[in-house]
Amino acid sequence: MARLKGKIAFVTAAGGAIAGATARLFGKEGAVVVCVDIAEENVNKTVEDINAAGGIAIPVVCDVTDGAAVEAAIAKTVETFGKLNVVFNAAAFADPLLPLHELDIDLWRKTFDVNITGMFIVTKYAIPRMLDAGGGSFINVSSIYGARAARNRPAYCSSKGAVRMLSKSVAVDYAEYNIRANSILPGPIETPRLLIANKNMDDVIERHRPHLPAARLGQPEEIAKTAVFLASDESSFMSGNDCFVDGAYNAI
Amino acid sequence: MGRLDGKVAFVTASGGAIAGATARLFGKEGAAVCCVDIVEENVKQTASDINAAGGNAMALKCDVTDDDAVKTAVKKTVTEFGKLNVCFNAAAYSEKRHRLAEMPLDMWKNVIDVNLTGMFIVARHVIPEMQTTGGGSIINVSSIYGVVGAKERPAYCAAKGGVRMLSKSIAVDYAADNIRANSIMPGPIETPRLLARNPSIEAVIERHGTRLHQKRLGKPEEIAQTALFLASDDASFTSGADMVVDAAYTAF
Repeated sequence: MARLKGKIAFVTAAGGAIAGATARLFGKEGAVVVCVDIAEENVNKTVEDINAAGGIAIPVVCDVTDGAAVEAAIAKTVETFGKLNVVFNAAAFADPLLPLHELDIDLWRKTFDVNITGMFIVTKYAIPRMLDAGGGSFINVSSIYGARAARNRPAYCSSKGAVRMLSKSVAVDYAEYNIRANSILPGPIETPRLLIANKNMDDVIERHRPHLPAARLGQPEEIAKTAVFLASDESSFMSGNDCFVDGAYNAI
Repeated sequence: MGRLDGKVAFVTASGGAIAGATARLFGKEGAAVCCVDIVEENVKQTASDINAAGGNAMALKCDVTDDDAVKTAVKKTVTEFGKLNVCFNAAAYSEKRHRLAEMPLDMWKNVIDVNLTGMFIVARHVIPEMQTTGGGSIINVSSIYGVVGAKERPAYCAAKGGVRMLSKSIAVDYAADNIRANSIMPGPIETPRLLARNPSIEAVIERHGTRLHQKRLGKPEEIAQTALFLASDDASFTSGADMVVDAAYTAF
């Protein structure tokens, strides 16, 4: 039995590893998925995969920092599929590793613009549609670095902390309208993006010891499965939560 | 296809509302369930409900503070069902309200004994069985009062805070054995025990005021759904986490 049957989901960064896996699993669990990304080729691939597996998905090329573009993308979602129930907010900027005093103001602004203002914009235009639909679920991708500091990532850490509190704020303000909002805080996940700043995966595991007690990285699909739980009615009393999916990283 | 097909679960306090709903859902999702409670009549009812619905359950009367009795109960589970993969630890003592200075020492000891030491005792006997079977999932019921204070409940708050950290400690120490441990922090849930402490459900909602953002209490089934997620392989990278199921109560 499909756990998201009848739901319409809007997934940002769906051309990427984590949101791509989430969009695919949403599709498999019966949701209609609007796959959003700034990179056309990547998002088209995710949509192809969902449709090839018997799901229903469309791609939308959209920059989440562009208010008019996001408004149009959400309007298109509702025009095409009739409503909007689930938003998975995952767009994030791959910031360079720099200590604060060497970080350009423009890079700081760019990180905040994508990681948190983009989320605000998507949420701002999605909420009225969820109100029309009688409720919904926001799943915002924060990070363990929204709870703990990573070296040389002041903008990333600050923005991911902001994601946690944005989720709680939405949770409190819209609970009476049956809208829920939760954050997922992934630990190190095996993605192509992780390899930009690291030689190889073994190197990542070694660097994070002893915070990876299972001595492995997470898989994008493990975040996707958490997102399905939060998107589904199984989590109907769960809102404002920080869902750590980190193999006990933050427990030590 | 059940989400817990092939798994064997040990559920304490399963004669009660929350653990009873959890045991029933585990049974429905394909797990063989050993239902444990100190009250024989209640736990027999839960096991009989599961079997009547086509599941596979047995009932055991057992006091979780009795080390020998727990050891025997865990052995019986493994003898009957072949192994043990999942443990839902929910036994808790509901004490009278006192500020700390007025609380009798025996009452304090009783709360800590059932709510915290009982979980230690259950965990110390299920962990070796989980190691034998190649891994497992321990789900400990903490409370929002393990995160924020409740008036006149010093022992309960201390014990539930202890539960949170017990879960994280197990998560860190046994990750290499593929054993996960997480806490669930329920907000106010509509149970007979809650009604025994309060004149009516409306009175509870009124007392919690603006923190119950959905203007309702949670249902035992909503905790059960969270437990199902944590028990299943969907949560394979989730360990040491605090799953707050409180409709944004503690987000405010």
